[in-house]
Amino acid sequence: MTSTSPAPASLEKFENPSATFARRLVDLRLSGHLQPGVVTLLVLSFCVYAGYRSGDFWSALNWQLLTQSLAEAGLVSLGMMFVIASGGIDLSAGAIVGVAAVTAGIAAHHNLPVAAIEAAALAGGILCGAFNGLLIGVLRISSILVTLGSMILFSGIALALSNGSSFAGFPDGLLWWNDAALLGIPLEFLLFLATAVVAAVLLGYTLWGHYVIAVGSNRVAARYSGYPVALTLFSVYALQGLLCGMTGILLVARLASARADMGQGLMLMAIAAVVLGGGPIEGGSASVLGTLVGVAAFYIVQDGLLLLDVPPFVQHALTSILLLVSVATGNLLRGNREDRR
Amino acid sequence: MSSSSIVSGRLRLSFHRHEAKLTCLLFVLGIALAVTAPRFFSSANLALLARSMGVLLIVSVGMLNVILAGGIDVSAGAILAVVSVVLVRLGNHGLPASAMLPLGLLAGAGLGAVNATLIAELRIPPIVATLGTAGLFRGLLLEWTQGEWESSIPPWLNSIGSPRWGGLDASVLAAALLILAAAGVLHRTQIGRALFRFGDSPLAAARTGISARQPIYFAYISLGLLTAIGAVFYAAQLGAVQGNAANGYELTVIAAVVLGGADILGGRGTLLGTFLGVLLLCSLQQGLVLLHVATFWQSIATGTIVLFGVILSSAQRLHQTPLLQRSPSA
Repeated sequence: MTSTSPAPASLEKFENPSATFARRLVDLRLSGHLQPGVVTLLVLSFCVYAGYRSGDFWSALNWQLLTQSLAEAGLVSLGMMFVIASGGIDLSAGAIVGVAAVTAGIAAHHNLPVAAIEAAALAGGILCGAFNGLLIGVLRISSILVTLGSMILFSGIALALSNGSSFAGFPDGLLWWNDAALLGIPLEFLLFLATAVVAAVLLGYTLWGHYVIAVGSNRVAARYSGYPVALTLFSVYALQGLLCGMTGILLVARLASARADMGQGLMLMAIAAVVLGGGPIEGGSASVLGTLVGVAAFYIVQDGLLLLDVPPFVQHALTSILLLVSVATGNLLRGNREDRR
Repeated sequence: MSSSSIVSGRLRLSFHRHEAKLTCLLFVLGIALAVTAPRFFSSANLALLARSMGVLLIVSVGMLNVILAGGIDVSAGAILAVVSVVLVRLGNHGLPASAMLPLGLLAGAGLGAVNATLIAELRIPPIVATLGTAGLFRGLLLEWTQGEWESSIPPWLNSIGSPRWGGLDASVLAAALLILAAAGVLHRTQIGRALFRFGDSPLAAARTGISARQPIYFAYISLGLLTAIGAVFYAAQLGAVQGNAANGYELTVIAAVVLGGADILGGRGTLLGTFLGVLLLCSLQQGLVLLHVATFWQSIATGTIVLFGVILSSAQRLHQTPLLQRSPSA
């Protein structure tokens, strides 16, 4: 839309196509790292301010608690990153977490061993994700529509399975996820970091990661290139289901109870984290580091505001402003190119 | 216009087919309800059904505008909550209806304009922008009310919500009038037609001289305004509001519009389809309530029917354009 000149005049654009292409590539590269950079700067200056105003901010306990809840949202965000990179969106992520938590609760209710409880939760998550993947990948229905419907469906299933009540009485082996720490770092957070490394390898160094990006950039072109589009999309949503299942286990371990509405809010949080990290919502690009920055920014700012005695509802509003400001700044710095849409 | 009439004629035909499918689905549901819960078709229950549809219908018409323009708005529930709380709170402080109603509508339109500005001027993708404003509006509202309930509503608001005309209330009349008005605007005015063309392809619309901003402003402000109108009846019907009111309402609204066959990518959708979508969702819920089905089975049934409707409309679109299918975006 930038070239409003009539067709003949725009021919000059094609004189040296490689130069334009290279410049565009550089632009793209730059824009990919720009937004996480802006966010990191904002968050770091916020950290300095929060540390100055509140003595508790830099305490070890604060960061231990912070990284635990960060890990839960982080796992969903990593899954959401793949989903968004593949050109889709998953509105049902929170509901899947609920299903996974409730299946873990039912398994614990039947006094199954810890491994079986965990397997049940993961299986519940993967099944839900695979259901989405089937409709989106194989039946080729728009992801936002499928996951809108399945979100309502899954939260209903979770409520029906739990009969609307909450589960308690989990074995110590499961709660271990919450209690264990290595060198003072909570195990949950280490698990999240390990998953992030795996995700980075999957994204950057495997054929599958290449497929995901290709499908997200241009699905039709990917199909013409002979890429397994349906299988790729299916696996992306199944993976998201698996990560939601892991989140469910961690949530159950931390809160020592399981409820159907446990994942509420995680879905929006995950989308916001991916976008905050600079992942374009249209798909075709992803950065694990950006997603880490995005999700960390949310939790650090929220935690800092809590310690600064900002009322809880204002915290909510301020984190929303953080999202809007950083995306808008990223857009403006990127030079307001209008050809995105 | 004449060159596109063949294409649009074919499209219109196919969408009538989607609406025909929806009508069939409604008939099946109607027969099932007639057998299992004959009370469903009593005049009192039908009036109740119409009342339960009013607010959803009004907001859905606004959401249809936004989806037609290729956007989405997940802040509609928050806007509904803000306007209804403002109306009730300030109304309880003694402000008259003649001041409150314009103020409420203005607030709704203003919040819609905030969304439109973020999307049109700052070029933030609609889902991100409205995700952000939903948190912002809701957070500020909860800070203002401190999470407290407004358990009584001013008398003028109460009289708006009270049933008359054989069990129907003003929301039904308002919904009917607004649908007629929307039909006029969407099909008989320049901005209405621009909405379809902009949603179909912003680039092509720009080439034919349609502004890149105007349709966005129109869509989101009209949604804000209609949500505010819905909020009046929402507060009037419930008789009590709080800051967390209508949490997740936007997803029900989007589900209804999408069930009605509107293309989430923009450019395609009908008022008739939206009406049928709302009717289907509401009568399903009402029927399940009459059958004494537990709440979670209601949401399972709702989710299934939304997925079913989506599969119905997508399967047909897939059949029409097997190769040049646009890659779905958020």
